[in-house]
Amino acid sequence: MNSDDKHIQGHSARLEDLFTTRRQFLQRAGMGFGALGLATLLGEEMFGSSARAAEQVATLAPRAPQFPAKAKHVVHIFAQGAPSHVDTWDPKPALAQYNGRAIPGHEGVAMASPFKFAKKGKSGIEVSEVFPKLGELVDDLAVIRSMYTDIPAHEVATVYMNTGSTRLARPSMGSWVLYGLGTENQNMPGYISLRPGGTPPGGSSNWQSSFLPGVYQGVSINTKVPTLNQLIENIHNQYTAFPEQRRQLDLVHKLNELHSQNLQKDAQLEARLQAYEMAFRMQTEATDAFDLNKEPQSMRELYGRTTQGNQMLIARRLIERGVRFVQVWAGGWDHHQDIEDRLPERAKEIDQPLAAFITDLKQRNLFNDTLVIWGGEFGRKPVRDRNGNDNPGRDHNARAFTTILAGGGVRGGMVHGATDEFGAASVENKVHIHDLHATILALLGFDHQKLTYRYNGRDFRLTDVAGQVVKAVIA
Amino acid sequence: MTKSRKSLRSLGFGAWMFPQANGLLHTSPGQRPGIIGHSLELQAESLPHPRLSALKTPRRSGPSFWNLRFGASLEFGVWSLKFPAAASRYALALLVLILALPSLAADPTPSQIQFFESRIRPVLANNCYKCHSLQSEKVKGGLLLDTREGLLKGGENGAVIVPGDPEKSSLIKAIRYTDPDLQMPPKDKKLSDTEIADLVTWVKMGAPDPRVATAAQKAGSDAAKKHWAWQPLTKPSVPEVKDAAWAKTPVDTFILAKLEEKELRPNPPADKPTLIRRATFDLIGLPPTPEEVADFVKDDSADAFAKVVDRLLASPHYGERWGRHWLDVARYSDTKGQVKKQREDANYPFAWTYRDYVIRSFNEDKPYNVFMIEQLAADKLPATARNPTNLAALGFLTLGERFLGMQNDIINDRIDVVTKGFLGLTVTCARCHDHKFDPIPTKDYYSLHGIFASCTEPSVEPVLAKTVSGPDYSDYYKKRMALESEKAAIEAQFRQARRSRNQEALKKLQRQTRENEAAVARLELTHPGAPPRAMILEDILKPHDSPVFIRGEAGNKGAIVPRRFLEVLSGPYRPPFTNGSGRLDLAHAIVSKNDPLPPRVMMNRLWLHHFGEGFVPTPDDFGTMSEPPSHPELLDYLASRFVEEGWSVKKMHRLIMLSSVYQESSANNPRFAQIDPFNRLLWRANIHRLEFEALRDSLLAIGGALDQTLYGRPVDLTKEPYSTRRTIYGFVDRSDVADVLINFDFANPDLPSGRRHETTVPQQALFLMNSPLVVEQAKKLVTLPEFQSREDDPARVQFLYERIYQRLPRPEEIKLGLEFVSQAPSTDKVAAQESSLQTVSNDGKKFKKQQAKQQYRKGGPNQPRQREPLKAWEEYAHALLQANETSFVN
Repeated sequence: MNSDDKHIQGHSARLEDLFTTRRQFLQRAGMGFGALGLATLLGEEMFGSSARAAEQVATLAPRAPQFPAKAKHVVHIFAQGAPSHVDTWDPKPALAQYNGRAIPGHEGVAMASPFKFAKKGKSGIEVSEVFPKLGELVDDLAVIRSMYTDIPAHEVATVYMNTGSTRLARPSMGSWVLYGLGTENQNMPGYISLRPGGTPPGGSSNWQSSFLPGVYQGVSINTKVPTLNQLIENIHNQYTAFPEQRRQLDLVHKLNELHSQNLQKDAQLEARLQAYEMAFRMQTEATDAFDLNKEPQSMRELYGRTTQGNQMLIARRLIERGVRFVQVWAGGWDHHQDIEDRLPERAKEIDQPLAAFITDLKQRNLFNDTLVIWGGEFGRKPVRDRNGNDNPGRDHNARAFTTILAGGGVRGGMVHGATDEFGAASVENKVHIHDLHATILALLGFDHQKLTYRYNGRDFRLTDVAGQVVKAVIA
Repeated sequence: MTKSRKSLRSLGFGAWMFPQANGLLHTSPGQRPGIIGHSLELQAESLPHPRLSALKTPRRSGPSFWNLRFGASLEFGVWSLKFPAAASRYALALLVLILALPSLAADPTPSQIQFFESRIRPVLANNCYKCHSLQSEKVKGGLLLDTREGLLKGGENGAVIVPGDPEKSSLIKAIRYTDPDLQMPPKDKKLSDTEIADLVTWVKMGAPDPRVATAAQKAGSDAAKKHWAWQPLTKPSVPEVKDAAWAKTPVDTFILAKLEEKELRPNPPADKPTLIRRATFDLIGLPPTPEEVADFVKDDSADAFAKVVDRLLASPHYGERWGRHWLDVARYSDTKGQVKKQREDANYPFAWTYRDYVIRSFNEDKPYNVFMIEQLAADKLPATARNPTNLAALGFLTLGERFLGMQNDIINDRIDVVTKGFLGLTVTCARCHDHKFDPIPTKDYYSLHGIFASCTEPSVEPVLAKTVSGPDYSDYYKKRMALESEKAAIEAQFRQARRSRNQEALKKLQRQTRENEAAVARLELTHPGAPPRAMILEDILKPHDSPVFIRGEAGNKGAIVPRRFLEVLSGPYRPPFTNGSGRLDLAHAIVSKNDPLPPRVMMNRLWLHHFGEGFVPTPDDFGTMSEPPSHPELLDYLASRFVEEGWSVKKMHRLIMLSSVYQESSANNPRFAQIDPFNRLLWRANIHRLEFEALRDSLLAIGGALDQTLYGRPVDLTKEPYSTRRTIYGFVDRSDVADVLINFDFANPDLPSGRRHETTVPQQALFLMNSPLVVEQAKKLVTLPEFQSREDDPARVQFLYERIYQRLPRPEEIKLGLEFVSQAPSTDKVAAQESSLQTVSNDGKKFKKQQAKQQYRKGGPNQPRQREPLKAWEEYAHALLQANETSFVN
């Protein structure tokens, strides 16, 4: 049979070409996970068997979006816990006016913000004193004051913000972005989620790939682990030094080569070869990316030597290395009580690191390539939370909150939309989570209705059956 | 309520929780269900339910006729086209009004037709069809205005016109723009006054509508009804083939007929070591031992392979392998997913009893129809009284995600697992609207909803063992009692704190309650003496039908629908279910002759796992959107045989595996590959990658470390010292699936998954390269006496090949191995390399060598922990474990 095969192969130039093409493609793709480019992966051509083929060759190779766009990376800072918009980005003087009194049409009594707002930058956008450093950068920010969502419960709303689904296991935003764009550094995972210990509500469903191939799954990194080695499972070999491991890996490749002679030139086997090589490189590069000791002292000071300072600095090191999507968990904003003391603490945690991050990106000419998002899963009510009489806070509010966009393709120094007089509900140019998702995809060069994946007979997308791009925030 | 609950608890404590000797303490359906059902309802209502909240705040998803402000905001410039109004319109309208009687049933008169064609149809076409016609990119609100049927049927919120009564017609209300929330056409594209007047007139006339549905419109639904998957099962006759010698079984004949059609030839048989390796991995998920391979190679009898298959089918490890395939479908997990952490512990302490039930059922070759019935209604079967362990079957329904306790989502999950698992149908697509592609109306979804809404879970799960005793149990009992008295104490303090309104104390007590509950769950989950229990479902006292939830919104109730089976799979007679909740009736309907899907779906699953691809590539969706089967006749032949042979899965394995098609080699044939690139016609065997379970288990087996114990409580797979149990016994946390499982494409425990993704990611390579679990197996291999006692190095290479790949090495492979071993650096060199690694890790920073080496060995804050460097042979064995041949079956 084998000799038969050779005979046939020898006379089948076309097929040999096919394999050569595939191999060449794999080499060009670097990571080499597949033979299909974006053109067939996305858009209308994706039906039945081609979708299955796409799954078989799920690839991290970088690819162009559907239309030209500025943003090439995303850093999503998730202010989990639902920050109070009326104490941070959405000033409501009427609350001071009604302070302690009933607000017409609302249960409970108004609570004035304990914080002062002041006009900042050339744009004169009002920012709360809790964000002194970010306030200075307001001309770079698009402040969306008219966000709203559906369910004011943390876990559901958190997963909703990340996946666009309140109930079902759906791929996260980062997985969709990776599916659409691949990633630039084949020595590193393309989608990394940084969390300061613990797991956020919803756990891995926040960075899951769900029915998208696992290659698009976010890699969750606990930045509070004491050693670098624990960041990525099995990143270090505890037995074999690099030169010897290299020699061993070369043997593995030779064994595979002998093995595959017996079988067929299978794309999957080629992909495995590439995966081993990337794993080998990750052992140095991935740990290097996370090693903040390699940053100069001045940089450490700029970001601050705090948990969030470290996370933002890692985020910058990842972006710099071509990682496509970085999520930074910076939560703790669930201020039912004692908002006056506790909200500024949270704000302070992120104010300097995020301001430093933006400044640093600008200095490195990365700001225009990088879409920066800050925001929570919903907002808070203008009235006092009944649970915190002495040191009041605010209760959950799905009808209004603020999200900040900055960087790649975003029009800075602008406010989009508005809430009502008291900040109880978004009323003007309302932006739903699906709209935000559509806008993020648009900033990356995708029509959110056309970034689809067929699963169980249906084409799914991040924005479900809704979503409208907020064109006003796009420069 | 409080009182009855309390008395139940004390009763439960004495009688249900701690059976001492006498028999199964199953629930008596008279007492608890009503109360529990009630409390669940209360809980569900008190939560911010998405559908309820949707009523308060406008939602974006599911744009509808009513949700105008959003539904229409996506379109631009649609409404600008207006039909020019004729000046004499009013006069004609009056005339028509006088002539026409409001009558719907009668055919429209010629003057009515003229009025419709000149005044109504253009307005509808120009202003409404964009969103409300079959041509719409997306039909809004489920409302179609381009057919008479659609117009009369209305949208998701019901009828839009009341013929003869414009004031009661919501369509008229919408075009009048009187309600700010209901304005059509949307976005200030209000119709002109004359157009509105025309429509009012027309509705007053009785909405005469001469339009007839076009052939294309009708054909769509007819085609869906004729879809192959729900046609009755027939047993096709075996086709004629040329190469009758190759065809050992009817299965082969069907395969060969297709191959011959395309002038393809099946590959010759695989060699014996390859074949036994393939069969062993397929059936038990482990490699054959070198002795098993040698015996098979030596056995020249005609039924040598049949003996192997029979031996493997009889192995208790068979259930571990095929049970795991089923657990993927059953979205198995040991945790609840989203729970209110203040209120309940996130663990399912007894999910594993379902897992063991599944393994046992496969091992016993339980008829598949019985297997299905038990998983739906084991509590209703007389046999269960004799064999209470079968109660664990109900875990199939109960161990899903908990969605923060939202009942309708839990019910949805149960409908999903039943319909995808048994029927290969995506029935849950019909939760908010009629299924877009398959003939499954929303009404059918709520017929099933009523069944599960009529069920509840007891607060105390029944014990599975007939008797419990022994020192372990005593110890458990003591600990559990301690926790119970702690709980009682907390409750007493609670009452006091509530009276004194001591907020601080209340908070503290809440925390203590949670801790107490977590401790109970931990005890039940881990204590060897804790009696196993079944996660059952039982009927409530007064089962009831569910209304259709319009657009899936619980607060938006439509007509009540009877509890009964899906229309598309029922015979002409579709009776309502009356036996309690109807679970048993449902089970019987599913396994009845009228329903051709379960045998087809199961045979497809079997084929998928044997060949790497099913006849239908989407094992959980046989609907109209699925690809047609590659071998429809063979699928039906197998399905019919399956039913004839008493739904015996093992008999079907045997039939398939003893066919020539199963035994083909995997060698490539470029010419054939051009004709059939995906090998859908099976001219060769597919090579496939081992799932993580089989990979990890075989690594442990190769190293001689595998613990072959069957069944039992779940173990942690992720921490050192690593468990050596088979992977199926690993604890699965759906809210935090272990990295290693995720990296190896483990089935998502939130969704029924008939097939796994097969991705290739570097984390998989890192596992094989660096995980101590893997490296330790390499070390164990070369310390085995069988290795040590081999006479020379080539013999040692041979031993490793036999052990790891179950075959002999070829000369070039031996040479490669010997070279690698002989070229290994000496111990000194290894030490030097360690230092060189040091400089890599510290990026040029100068460390004193000695200090660096020390830190390196110890594993400082930024240094990997270091273990004894591998010896040459260990390193070689490790390389063999990393190579593709370990991970692939061909």
